[in-house]
Amino acid sequence: MSDQPLRQWQCTVCGEIYDEALGLPESGIAPGTRFEDIPDDWICISCGAVKSSYMLMEV
Amino acid sequence: MSAPLIPVELIAPAFNPATFGQRGVVHDLFTRLRRDYPLAKAEVPGFDPHWIVTKYNDLREITRQDNLFHNADRSKTLASQIAEQMMRQYSGMPTIFKTLVHMDEPEHMDHRAVTQPLFYPQNVVKLQDDIRATARRYIAQMFDKGPEVDFAGDVAFPYPAEVVLTLLGVPKEDHGLMLDLTHWLFTYADPDLGRPGSDPTNPEEIIKTWDIVYSKFREYYLPMVAERRARPTGDVTSVIANGLINGQPMDERNMISYLVIASTAGHDTTSATTATGMWVLAERPELLKQLQENPKLIPGFVEETIRWATPVQQFVRSAVEDYTLSGQQIKKGDLLYLSYISANRDEDMFKDPFTFDPTRSPNRHIGFGYGNHNCLGQHLARLEMKILWEELLPKLASVGMNGEGKMAESEFVCGPKYVPIRYRLQ
Repeated sequence: MSDQPLRQWQCTVCGEIYDEALGLPESGIAPGTRFEDIPDDWICISCGAVKSSYMLMEV
Repeated sequence: MSAPLIPVELIAPAFNPATFGQRGVVHDLFTRLRRDYPLAKAEVPGFDPHWIVTKYNDLREITRQDNLFHNADRSKTLASQIAEQMMRQYSGMPTIFKTLVHMDEPEHMDHRAVTQPLFYPQNVVKLQDDIRATARRYIAQMFDKGPEVDFAGDVAFPYPAEVVLTLLGVPKEDHGLMLDLTHWLFTYADPDLGRPGSDPTNPEEIIKTWDIVYSKFREYYLPMVAERRARPTGDVTSVIANGLINGQPMDERNMISYLVIASTAGHDTTSATTATGMWVLAERPELLKQLQENPKLIPGFVEETIRWATPVQQFVRSAVEDYTLSGQQIKKGDLLYLSYISANRDEDMFKDPFTFDPTRSPNRHIGFGYGNHNCLGQHLARLEMKILWEELLPKLASVGMNGEGKMAESEFVCGPKYVPIRYRLQ
């Protein structure tokens, strides 16, 4: 398990934020799930953009 | 096998702006369509045939695939054959405006990228102090006028307009003009909001109105654009005026249209939703109490008002190639009328869709659209409404309707135009 702090990622299409600490329970993604561990065919829950549309948010 | 056809007597009212002034009629119509004709064709005299898309998942499937369902090839909103022909005469395109909603890729994302970061939630939240001060001022003005006010005219129309027009750098004395032009554009057929003297039953008059709106916005903004290019400030007009597309300044029609969409859609939709929120509160005293006892429900209340209001009721797309959607054969060139107002009441997506529930969770409504063309200003809209209710609701002991509310007569952007309320303060 990574020791890196949990991060936030942002959809560049709609601004939706994926917070690794919170996960996305309504999509079956548990809290603490790293962004890279989300399946590659996952799409943004807000706008449907592909996973590669997300970028790491700078702290 | 030929496409299923909706009886013309059933679907024709959806092609008439006046129908949308009666919420009950609209919802009865689309509930019947979802049940009996969820994806079927309408052939209404004077209009090209349109697939009527009533289901949430179908609407998402279409709007997620801009490469297969275009925005730029035909009119973006429901338009008669004469109207579309006239628009081509005015502008050389199927539409008068070339806003973000009228663009396909890559043109669309190239233009959207110019302002997109400004509207990310982490940037919008920096505006909260100013927005809160504006909200407090409108609430104070409402209280000075009350206890009987028209919440639509006194708060819901001007408050979101002031927020976004201030971001654009439009001085306060010009906000009235902007509001008028917004109403002429979106609610051209409404007897109270449309352009005075225009005949909304005449397609020529409708297009003339839109051309007048474009011309007036162009006349207003061109000097401001020149000024902002010479001396940029921090406002959104500066960003748009100086925005580059592939290293070049924007084409003039694209730039003016960008300013138009920011100056109109940037507030009218929030106005519709805000007015709807108060209308719901005025009819449901228990809801006011619930939100006062648990202010953490306010964001959920905002989300549910967006679903409930769905101010952008429809958009039209054109099929780029043959496509199979929910078992129906869409042909290349077919027009698809996307009913967002139907999708947001889809029984297969929302439990008890005709129950207003601020605790609805998840609430993945499609009020802000879906796909690349999702609403650029959604985070600003949410913040404005959250702040207004946070400031207003604790001050009200009660609120009720003080007469009959009225909806605008508009088949495109639509909301309440009159919300007479009577309130008591704490």
